[in-house]
Amino acid sequence: MSLHLPVISIALLLLASFVMPLLRRGARAAALPFTLSVLGAVFTVSLYLIYLVESRGAFSYHVGGWPPPWGVELYIDHLAVYMMMVLSSICLVVMVYGARDLYHEIRAEVMSWYYTLYLLLLASMIGIALTNDLFTLFVFLEISTISACGIISIKKDRECIEASFKYLILSVLGSGCVLLGVAMIYMITGYLNYDFVAQELPQAIAEYPYNILMALSLFIVGFSVKSALFPLHIWLPDAHSSAPSPSSAVLSGLVIKIYAAAILRLLFRVFPAELFEVVPVLDILLFLSVLAVMAGSIFAMVQEDIKRMLAYSSIAQIGFVFMGIGLFGNRALLGGLVHIFNHALMKSMLFLAAGLIIYAAGIRNIRDLRGIGVRMPLTMGAFAIGAFSMVGIPGTNGFISKWHLALGALDLGRPFFVAIILLSSLLNGIYYLPIVINAFFGVKIEPRSEHRDVPGMMLVPVLILAAGVIFFGFYPGPILALLEQAIVL
Amino acid sequence: MKDIVIRTVCRVIVPFVQVYGLYVIFHGHLSPGGGFAGGAILGSSMVLFALSFHLEAGAQKLGHETSSYLESGGGIWYILIGLLGLALGSNFLTNRAAGLGFGLPGQLFSGGMIFLLSLGIGVKVASTMFTLFYNLSEEEGSGGDHQ
Repeated sequence: MSLHLPVISIALLLLASFVMPLLRRGARAAALPFTLSVLGAVFTVSLYLIYLVESRGAFSYHVGGWPPPWGVELYIDHLAVYMMMVLSSICLVVMVYGARDLYHEIRAEVMSWYYTLYLLLLASMIGIALTNDLFTLFVFLEISTISACGIISIKKDRECIEASFKYLILSVLGSGCVLLGVAMIYMITGYLNYDFVAQELPQAIAEYPYNILMALSLFIVGFSVKSALFPLHIWLPDAHSSAPSPSSAVLSGLVIKIYAAAILRLLFRVFPAELFEVVPVLDILLFLSVLAVMAGSIFAMVQEDIKRMLAYSSIAQIGFVFMGIGLFGNRALLGGLVHIFNHALMKSMLFLAAGLIIYAAGIRNIRDLRGIGVRMPLTMGAFAIGAFSMVGIPGTNGFISKWHLALGALDLGRPFFVAIILLSSLLNGIYYLPIVINAFFGVKIEPRSEHRDVPGMMLVPVLILAAGVIFFGFYPGPILALLEQAIVL
Repeated sequence: MKDIVIRTVCRVIVPFVQVYGLYVIFHGHLSPGGGFAGGAILGSSMVLFALSFHLEAGAQKLGHETSSYLESGGGIWYILIGLLGLALGSNFLTNRAAGLGFGLPGQLFSGGMIFLLSLGIGVKVASTMFTLFYNLSEEEGSGGDHQ
């Protein structure tokens, strides 16, 4: 029975998302508890799956009872359960926050559609994490694209529609690239299953080198657009800053990372290692990630809108994940992967804290935040913890991932990247710390609008995430132990 | 606009289109087509009806609310059928291995759960098409005659 849990959790999320529009009138009040219980169940399942994979190793699941080359296979290994845990935990916490916040950002009639899209998004991201089949990957990719655009455009104002349209066009372009890549691979090998493709590709390289290179580059471009790697990031700032705060938290914290995890799987499990000796794909990713880390921070410095600044900072942080992939060493990859979780924690917390400030004080401009720490000490305290974590101050989880990345770079004898990590931390400090300092010690400006009280249901998730940032800064052991088994290169 | 030619032709054509749509849905495991293609045919028959009469006449046949219930229902139906495989002690969506009945090959009822799945997809696609059409035409701001 427990082996069915991965597929049951995807089916449960899909089922719940289809049930949501059926809840009308009186039943509408049930939508939120129902969504939260489904998210809670999926989170519990993901914790149990971690235990299961730790105790009995990776296992695969054949949907429909058909064995691999014919049927769809789910492969549940350490990386998959790690991603599933990250996705479901953050989604659960953000939804608790969203329960109150969404009512003032979107219309009440479309609330049930928001739950539908949110659950679909989580289902598709878990699908991407678990699948072992190229075409299933593409299908879940499309579902996640559409639902991610949906949770932006559901707030019907001009900016959101424009931003989500831009996101839709670029993201679908990315999906198109991935589909072409899948077609190329299928044309050469005749398989869609990762393991079978991986078996066939080493022989196929001699015969069809260009097709394989084409497929590889299409995958890289497609996933880079979706995960907003530096030169292909232009959709991200608009999309993530105009969306409702819970959507921003999920989009910045999770959605861009899952594509990085997907390309990681393709690069290391499907494509043969000899290929990387011929084509400098990893080096290209590495230098793009360096550019992303620097450019994201520099762009973030000049922003005036707080959510826009956080969005640009995401571009820099996704660079660290790709740096871990590009360095191609155990330690560095560990740093990159643990940054997926760490950044998901801190960035969703920062977005939620920014959302709280917007909710309570109606302030978006960074200059107006002066003195807000006196009025909202808990929120700004959490924001400060997130800012320290972004900079990478020891004792926060941001330090752990940068530490492992830097050690990984030193292991490989590439100290240049240590310098980049240090420099980017300084740049992060330049734009995060003044906000914190001004908020607590700046001269108070008279509030422009009526100050609203912060509801406890919105504050608690922020504090939970802040506690997580500190907790995993001191005790990263369990996560690192799980990931060490995930990265057997 | 009340064009007698369009309305009469539509009245004649729509039942045939719908029967053909259902045929394509149910023969998904035997012939080209299946849930998606058949559902698109079914949906377009309803769009045709609403276009050649007017939106309210279409809404009387299939209301906006009903259509969105059907949309959710199609998806739920698919997942429940998938869980049937689990209930029979096999994997998700398992068909033959779970011991579902198979008739003679080539006959209509010879695919186990496949035609039930096609039905779910067909209903979902048809109602989605109709809902999309509705949403688009309502956005235009024309509640009445849609020409």
